[in-house]
Amino acid sequence: MELKGRVWKFGKDVDTDELFAGRFIMGGDETSTSQYQEFIARSGLSDVGHRENVPRDFVTRVEKGDIIVAEENFGIGSSRQQAAETLKFKGVQAVVADSIHRIFFRNFWNLGCPAIDLPGISAEFETGHGIVINLRQGTIKNLNTGKEFEFHLIIPSWFVDMVEAGGLIPYHKSLKS
Amino acid sequence: MTLVEKILAKKAGKKVVRPDELVEVSVDLAMIHDALGAHTIAKFRELGVEKVWDPARIIVVLDHYVPNKDIDTAKKCLNIKKFVIEQGIENYYEVGKGGIAHQVLVEKGHVLPGTTLVGVDSHTTTSGVVGAFATGIGVDEMAVVFKTGRLWERVPGTIRINVEGKLVPPIASKDLMLFILKRLGVSGALFKSLQYTGSAINQMSVESRMVLTNMAIESGATNGIIEADQKIVDFLRARTTHSFELIQSDQDAEYAETLEFHADDIKEPMVAVPPKPSNAVGVTEVEGTRIDQAFIGACTNGRMEDLRIAARILKGRKVDKFTKVIVIPASQEVFKSALAEGLMATFVEAGAVVGPPTCGPCMEAHMGILGPGEVCISTANRNFQGRVGDVTAKIYLASPATVAASALKGKISDPREFFRET
Repeated sequence: MELKGRVWKFGKDVDTDELFAGRFIMGGDETSTSQYQEFIARSGLSDVGHRENVPRDFVTRVEKGDIIVAEENFGIGSSRQQAAETLKFKGVQAVVADSIHRIFFRNFWNLGCPAIDLPGISAEFETGHGIVINLRQGTIKNLNTGKEFEFHLIIPSWFVDMVEAGGLIPYHKSLKS
Repeated sequence: MTLVEKILAKKAGKKVVRPDELVEVSVDLAMIHDALGAHTIAKFRELGVEKVWDPARIIVVLDHYVPNKDIDTAKKCLNIKKFVIEQGIENYYEVGKGGIAHQVLVEKGHVLPGTTLVGVDSHTTTSGVVGAFATGIGVDEMAVVFKTGRLWERVPGTIRINVEGKLVPPIASKDLMLFILKRLGVSGALFKSLQYTGSAINQMSVESRMVLTNMAIESGATNGIIEADQKIVDFLRARTTHSFELIQSDQDAEYAETLEFHADDIKEPMVAVPPKPSNAVGVTEVEGTRIDQAFIGACTNGRMEDLRIAARILKGRKVDKFTKVIVIPASQEVFKSALAEGLMATFVEAGAVVGPPTCGPCMEAHMGILGPGEVCISTANRNFQGRVGDVTAKIYLASPATVAASALKGKISDPREFFRET
């Protein structure tokens, strides 16, 4: 499975309060998929202009299929799945980082979006670079520099199938049928 | 194997597990609260399953946005209540019955040594205080736990935090935890477990220990854990009739790392400067910083010993005229005890507002939200930028004693002056 996209370079310690502020957690009607997704997409990274670890124009210019490459400790903090959902609904298809916090790591994969931790990877990318991730081979390529990197994830064997199914919930539904 | 490895091995039905191995474990308890409960239920419905795997193993606590602050929060709580009734979930804590989930789980004796607990909340780690594996997950995973009662986990290697000596008041376990975080940083324990050992931990009350397991997550850890000792056994015997097994780390257990601390190393009360819990400095370094709000409460420090030490400082005194001082007990049980001891009267007479048991201004949920540029000193566990309101507000983390002393002066203050022998 190959993911190709355009890079947004994030800094370190991007926390879940930053990704999705507490004041929006109870907003969004979870029983209506379209309303919920629109609300979650709109409400994430609401204070981005005040942060040093997220590019200022990310919220306005992010496009479907983009990929975040971040420094260490991406997604530190809360269980709030909205922190992962807002990135997905804004169009981000994968997060690559020097290191990723456990709960965010699981949440993002569960949405069908790979979260890949590879120490040192952030130094190899800048915003605007092209990136290709091959999930089954375990490789990341920078299309601008031509450099390729290998990663070895500690994830259950069914995780890539889960991504192909569209996430944990659709994957579990497919198991039933 | 270490304690956490032994629990995960047992729950996975394996003889041995190693750090970073993937296991599938049975879940003994699963907790949802109002902030993410309705989302969990929506996901569970999406799975198309009618009944949860075991209603007796699910605990539902309404704590973040209660008493409901608006129509959205009331609607979500109603959805949760309907689900609880429909599924026959006995362990339901409505407003006025429980308090903050992490406090309720421990004080009601729900979590037992050697068991597994997952919650839709990162501070689920708190329950590791009884020697359980307790950790946070998201709502999609919780929906699957509701269906299957099982969870995959990457076995965390154990970082042993060994603390010798004895903390002398007003230095408290909060000061120790901030001191530990200064060394570990906010990513020092990613995919690892923090196990606290040593004479300082042994001497600590259960309440004080809960601060350590609560804030283990702030180092990036999967969980925090302390071996159950006689104190825990006595604590639980008073709260549950369930039997439990005491598990200890093996003598030859391999730790990923051991960090040694001594209580005497903490020379003064600690304050974590915004925007990270690991930005700890001695209180004298930030003494005099103007504050707009002082908050005593949260799952970190809203228990009886926290309220007692705050009341000792506030008794017979008045808080600063321009400072909003908010005291929120962590649970209904704490509220009741504090009332009986007269602590609530002390707070109210000092000019503090006392709130009902809820998460309060620990996060941007309900009550005590900060405006632009406001400064808050708080006993909670996180001080990320924008955590409790406007993105330009600032949050300092400290012990209840330091927050109470600061409340009196309207600026960050050293509580030691209230503890000198007279």
